[in-house]
Amino acid sequence: MSNFPVAFIVILSIISLAGIGFYCLLATRNMIKVIIGLQLMVKGVAMAFILGGNLTGQVNLAQTMALTVIVADTIVAVMGLALAVQVRHRLGTLDIKALSTLKR
Amino acid sequence: MNLILILLVIGLPWLGAFIVLLAGDKHEKLQHVLAVAFSLAAGAAAIMLLPNVSKAVVISLPAGTVFGNFTFVADGLSVFLTIIATVIGSLAVIFSTSYMHGEAQIGRYYAFVLYFIGAMAGLVLTSNMLLMFLFWEITALCSYALISFNNDDPKAVRGGIKALIITSVGGVGLLLGALLIFVYTGSLSYSAILGGNASLPANILAVLAFGFLIAAAAKSAQFPFQTWLPDAMEAPSPISALIHAATMVNAGVYLLARFYPVFKDVPYWREAVMVVGVLSALMAAIMALVSTDLKRVLAYSTVSQLGYMVYAIGAGSVFASQFHLFSHSIFKALLFLAAGAVIHSVGTRDMTKMGGVGKKLPYVKWVFIVGALALAGIPVFNGFWSKEMILEAGLKGGSIVYYSVMVFVAGLTALYTIRAVWMVFYGEPRSDYHAHKVGLAMKIALAPLALAAVVSWLAVGRFSLLFGANSLPFHNIQPFGLKEMFHEVIALSTLIPLAVITLGILCWVFRSKLGGLVKAFNWMRWLAEHSFGFEGINTGIVKATEASAESLRTTQTGIFSWNLLAVLGTIIIFFVLFAIGA
Repeated sequence: MSNFPVAFIVILSIISLAGIGFYCLLATRNMIKVIIGLQLMVKGVAMAFILGGNLTGQVNLAQTMALTVIVADTIVAVMGLALAVQVRHRLGTLDIKALSTLKR
Repeated sequence: MNLILILLVIGLPWLGAFIVLLAGDKHEKLQHVLAVAFSLAAGAAAIMLLPNVSKAVVISLPAGTVFGNFTFVADGLSVFLTIIATVIGSLAVIFSTSYMHGEAQIGRYYAFVLYFIGAMAGLVLTSNMLLMFLFWEITALCSYALISFNNDDPKAVRGGIKALIITSVGGVGLLLGALLIFVYTGSLSYSAILGGNASLPANILAVLAFGFLIAAAAKSAQFPFQTWLPDAMEAPSPISALIHAATMVNAGVYLLARFYPVFKDVPYWREAVMVVGVLSALMAAIMALVSTDLKRVLAYSTVSQLGYMVYAIGAGSVFASQFHLFSHSIFKALLFLAAGAVIHSVGTRDMTKMGGVGKKLPYVKWVFIVGALALAGIPVFNGFWSKEMILEAGLKGGSIVYYSVMVFVAGLTALYTIRAVWMVFYGEPRSDYHAHKVGLAMKIALAPLALAAVVSWLAVGRFSLLFGANSLPFHNIQPFGLKEMFHEVIALSTLIPLAVITLGILCWVFRSKLGGLVKAFNWMRWLAEHSFGFEGINTGIVKATEASAESLRTTQTGIFSWNLLAVLGTIIIFFVLFAIGA
């Protein structure tokens, strides 16, 4: 199995991470789970950057991008969780459907 | 030098808008001072542009391959309109310090006024169609926000929304034109098609020409979109002055004047422009004659005078049209600000409840009369010279039918103007109103306008140089001094409009003897009060837009999963499209 391409495994994990994340975003209404789904998806994207860098030889650029994505993603997670706390506090639920009343 | 000045003219009002908001409504005095300072500074920067007028591109900000460069040009047409926007705009701001004194949310008011002035300067200074469209829509947004400034008054909100929708419908014409120019010349700059370097197919040019005509008609409240401007009268008076004299409605005339060299050979285009101008002028004048709301009379007179400008462009004289725009901006700002002083003091806009205001506000009476005489086209005042030049141009460049209608409208103008002056300032008070004192800032803002309404025509020579070959190479406007103007205006054909104007005034003087005639035209009064049925078109557009917006509302579920599904769907569609394309 030594000639089994590593890239193949990585692609597979990217697709599964992003897919699971996306499905999670589509299917769940719990805000915490939405944030978890987002995290999964973004981790897949970061891996895609690394893979892309590896394939094109621009390893430094890819690593920079991946690190930026991770930092930005952390901020998103923190903000999201803070919002979730506030929403829970105000509305008494974590169901994002309750937030749709924001449009009125 | 020009580079800095252009950035200042657009940037200063916008910066001011931001700072006035930051100052907060607790510091009202500071907000007044800041707004006046920033608008005056922008006006000064605009005037300093005057000596360096040229056709050259001044700023070119690279904005990527798709958008082309964001270019700004300080040629005669743009500098002239920039000065109108900023200088008249700052007078309106000075007036506001007294008019809006003690109102709530003054910060929001000044922020939008300054944003408006900056956007108008940008609209005329840029030579990039995309940027022009952007500024065009910003002015529409600002006019909406200012018309419905009293947002607890449903009439004001409705007027604002109507203005927003109608002018945005016109904006579609402009966007279409910009995209067509981009597709056919590969650049968003209008200089390519103005110079005739890029040849557009004839049918595309026609689409462009009529698209821009619709855009201009919607923006300048011309036929058949003329009803949004009177409905916009719910705005505070300085805003009306700003919209009518300094910013908004000039944009449509500017668009037509700017592209006249390209479109003049499009079949029927000039004819269509003249018809639009003549119909607007005629209908608006009749509507002004029957209206009893002081500000509505002035609003209809704006539509009517803009009709003259549009007519002049159709007749082939961009210069006469711009010269009338110059005069009109001055006397219409004067009239609106004076009317604002009256309304502020008396507390009503209904002329049937006024009467005899002149005794209590003599200063306002005199400046209003100066403006009214200029509007009516009485000799020596600036309106006389420019209107005569338009009529001369119409006689040369268009059919005699249009000319006679426009001369008739000149008579109507004199009639409704003197009617308004009489109903407001003379006679006995028709209700027991209480006239407050007029503030000092109001008087300060009115004085230069009144002076300019008497003498601004003396600047015709300098004005024509602004439009010379150095700055507008394709418009072919010759230097035109005072001597030439005397020569052209003081001719036999001038006597006809003058006679008609006198007739119009006499009609009012002998109105009691004309009772039978007035009754015979009662059907016309009924028609005019119902806007000749064109209210229906405008209301239809507004209703249709609102209905489609309401039905599209269901797509905004506010539920995250549905939005995400839409994202997924769009990605899939794009993949399919790429797959098919490849």
